[in-house]
Amino acid sequence: MFSLVNFDTQTTAQGKGQANDVQLIARAINGEARGESYEGQVAVGAVILNRVENPKFPNTLAGVIYQPGAFTAVSDGQINVPIDPNSSVVKAARDAMNGWDPTNGCIYYWNPATATSKWIWSRQIIKKIGKHNFGK
Amino acid sequence: MGYREKLLDFKRRLSDRKMYSIVFVVMAAIAIWGIYQYKHAANLRQQLDNQYNRAFYDMVGYVNNVETLLVKSLITSTPEKTASTLQEAWRQSNFAQAYLGQLPVAQDILANTSKFLSQVGDFSYSINNNSMGGKPLSDKEFKSIQDLHGYAAALGKSLDALQEELNSGRIKWGELSQKGPGVFQKVSANAAAQQFENIDKTFQEYPRLIYDGPFSDHLSETESKGLTGEVLSEEKVKEKVIQFFGKDRVESVGSTGKNDSGPIKTYSYTVKFKGAPEEQMASVDFTQKGGHPYWMIYNRPVNEKKIDIDKAKRLGKEFLAKHGFENMVDTYYLSEDGTAVINYAHKQDDVIMYPDLIKVKIALDTGEVVGLESKGYLSSHTARKIQEPKLTMEEARAKINSRIKIDSSGLAIIPTNFKTELLTYEFKGKFNNQDFIVYINALTGKEENILMIIFQRKIGKLLIIYMKDSIDKIYIPHL
Repeated sequence: MFSLVNFDTQTTAQGKGQANDVQLIARAINGEARGESYEGQVAVGAVILNRVENPKFPNTLAGVIYQPGAFTAVSDGQINVPIDPNSSVVKAARDAMNGWDPTNGCIYYWNPATATSKWIWSRQIIKKIGKHNFGK
Repeated sequence: MGYREKLLDFKRRLSDRKMYSIVFVVMAAIAIWGIYQYKHAANLRQQLDNQYNRAFYDMVGYVNNVETLLVKSLITSTPEKTASTLQEAWRQSNFAQAYLGQLPVAQDILANTSKFLSQVGDFSYSINNNSMGGKPLSDKEFKSIQDLHGYAAALGKSLDALQEELNSGRIKWGELSQKGPGVFQKVSANAAAQQFENIDKTFQEYPRLIYDGPFSDHLSETESKGLTGEVLSEEKVKEKVIQFFGKDRVESVGSTGKNDSGPIKTYSYTVKFKGAPEEQMASVDFTQKGGHPYWMIYNRPVNEKKIDIDKAKRLGKEFLAKHGFENMVDTYYLSEDGTAVINYAHKQDDVIMYPDLIKVKIALDTGEVVGLESKGYLSSHTARKIQEPKLTMEEARAKINSRIKIDSSGLAIIPTNFKTELLTYEFKGKFNNQDFIVYINALTGKEENILMIIFQRKIGKLLIIYMKDSIDKIYIPHL
């Protein structure tokens, strides 16, 4: 998932944005899973990263997070809420980037109480963490 | 003055002509403000529409280019020319995929189209690498490109049709991105979405594509070599969880479900510790087969740092040995938030096995292990038959650019993006005060990889770019 700057693979020119990537994921987690347990926060970060690796989704972190309609926190602007550098969402974002994945490879999650898309229910539920269902 | 008089007074003043004009001015101001707001919103909407149009038109262009390039690659006369044509196809399909992701169409509607574009790029890149070495296309590759070309042509055709609908105004982007409650709005949005869905249907029958690239279809099904032992019951594994944390520390363990999907099936538990606050629990997944720890997260506040990184590395190694992970060496670490995440790789006969990766997170106040991640190890660890290198260390070293000053070297097995392994010589060195690691294939002498390490003062030795690989395939050595 992470590599040192790598001259021989197809993904070279992504910039040196480790700190920025953590910020971006942390903001997304903050908007999507603020009230969740720590595990639930890492899980949301892991889903974002799993999407980057999945051919059905955009191939970059920003592409996945800002994909139109993909995350409510992006649509309603909550992703722009500034976060405390010591808050748990930053730690959760780091754990997710370091490879911890409580969802074991899920690429979707939804809140059963608020999900409006019928399609999302056709997904197999792999795991429930807090208010979210996680699926593939 | 009573209320009644006040009211009368107000009425009297309102009937004054001046007051009427003030009310009029206020209303006019509100109207102007409203018109301004409306125009402003219309402007923003237009800007957004323009961006969607741009993304769409560009995407159509790139898809048409991919189609042309694929068919060209089939009829070029030399492998080198095939390579350069496919390289361009790789580039153009990457763009097409990126622009597709910007359209205001629900992800599920265009999922297969997106996958197709990812794979065309990935596949072209992998063949490009072979062709560059002078290898002509095999019959199978020729057939695959031919198939892909057929799909690209079909996609181009439907996109052209859609473009016409957009041009004639029958489809508006606004309809697709709005989720309003209006009945009519929904009907028209569905009609537009339907057009995209029809395009996506083209790819439902699209064949499995197997090649040497990270998006190849065979990768999700590889067996997990490190998963040894019998399949155990949830209760049996629970005992292992208690053992893992230590009987004297654990107050209770709760089961939170099981995960039967994917190559590594697991049970999930939460663990409560004696004397820890109610909400402060560890979450953990153990494998159903063999009851191995798969990942563990224990998020607790970390106090003042009392342990240095060398001690932490020792503690991590001891911890791993105690839980059955023998001969692990630390290869890289990252220290932040009062914790250290240390990577360990298995070592066999003095060769480092980078695919066999376990990450241990240690709290630097007490040295307690507060995190573990063993996907790499469980996926790939096995007693390997290590081949005899065909090059000596000196021969390999001679292949490296002489500008890099080499500090250390050794043998290592490294993973590729597509779950194969290579035996290499690993050289760590410096160029322009930057740290580099170079991998030379020990059998062919090919330079497989050059990595650059970027230091960031605050967080120690830091890794840099985000790539479309998964963590179990990438290893992060440290100097």
